[in-house]
Amino acid sequence: MGISTFHTEKPAEDVPVWVNKNNCKACDICVSVCPAGVLAMVYDPTSVLGANISIQYPDDCIGCNECELCCPDFAIYVADKKEHKFAKLSDQAKQRQEAIVANNYMALDEGAK
Amino acid sequence: MAFNYEKYLRVEKMPTLWCWGCGDGVILKSVIRAIDKLGWNMDDVCIVSGIGCSGRFSSYIDCNTVHTTHGRTVAYATGIKLANPDKHVIVVAGDGDGLAIGGNHTIHGCRRNIDLNFILINNFIYGLTNSQISPTTPQGMWCVSAKRGNIDPTFDACKLAEGSGASFIARESMIDPKKLEKIFVKGFQHRGFSFFDVLSNCHINLGRKNKMQSAIANLDWIDSITIPLKKWEALPEEEKMNKFPTGVLRQVEQDEYCDLYDKVIEVAQGKRKPLTQDDFKKKI
Repeated sequence: MGISTFHTEKPAEDVPVWVNKNNCKACDICVSVCPAGVLAMVYDPTSVLGANISIQYPDDCIGCNECELCCPDFAIYVADKKEHKFAKLSDQAKQRQEAIVANNYMALDEGAK
Repeated sequence: MAFNYEKYLRVEKMPTLWCWGCGDGVILKSVIRAIDKLGWNMDDVCIVSGIGCSGRFSSYIDCNTVHTTHGRTVAYATGIKLANPDKHVIVVAGDGDGLAIGGNHTIHGCRRNIDLNFILINNFIYGLTNSQISPTTPQGMWCVSAKRGNIDPTFDACKLAEGSGASFIARESMIDPKKLEKIFVKGFQHRGFSFFDVLSNCHINLGRKNKMQSAIANLDWIDSITIPLKKWEALPEEEKMNKFPTGVLRQVEQDEYCDLYDKVIEVAQGKRKPLTQDDFKKKI
């Protein structure tokens, strides 16, 4: 067995969505498919592309599972619908998603890319 | 706990060597989820891959895997399937691997209708060798081997498979992994040659040279050239040729090669008379 960066464990109990930052390559796909503006990219000088994924508003996650399915690098996981009670999609979350996409998938407090 | 990927992956090989945003990872995930849905034992599954970015596919999935020579995936898989008719064989090839170098093997695999699951990862380019035109590169696109624009006409992989006689043909893009998973489940259950044309992105070697610098821009382009089969049928003729229909394009029951081969074995053992045309569903 070589050295593995792969892990899927939940960081804490009762989280709707969690990421493995070691595997993230900052392709922005998960941010683009999220309907509720939960995810965004943040600057990370140690990452190859200079950015890494972060979960900005976990409480707004609706559990649609799109980010997990669209992630090519097995870096993002969504809790099972039986285990976690997810939020409903709100207008505020939708607007935030549009703002994040307009901000080139970067978190809103990180400034424009 | 979310879906347990660790059960199906060689985790010590992670993270993948593919570029950021590469569709191969999504297809790998969809294959894993489809296998999980069908409840197959990983000891009964064999993944055969060729050369190219898609060739890495067999390195990451924890089952019986063969990383074969360029374009010969179907040839190897035919041998594996005939020797182990009760196992499930999944073939993964890129568009250059499966249609150019291995085009000959692909059409004869389709013709025999042997029970293989052939996943063609179609990213419209030779990605691993840095942007040479493949049989599916659209005309007018700029590539390293076509610096004044590609003039070679493309061909439709699904129509090739249909003409060759594959009994299950489906096309889907990696934009919608849920649909992709459903189509894999359907095709893996089908007895006969299942041909999946999975449209994928290569924003590094196709996109960057054709004004689609990011993975998302490339996926938007794929989204613009695909349309569900029912909507495609309603389109006027001149628009049909510019769009790829997605979904299950063909599903028919035909004689399966392993079944026919069993009959040949029975003839050789003297248990039955030699085969005549009456033993086949299709007469000519």
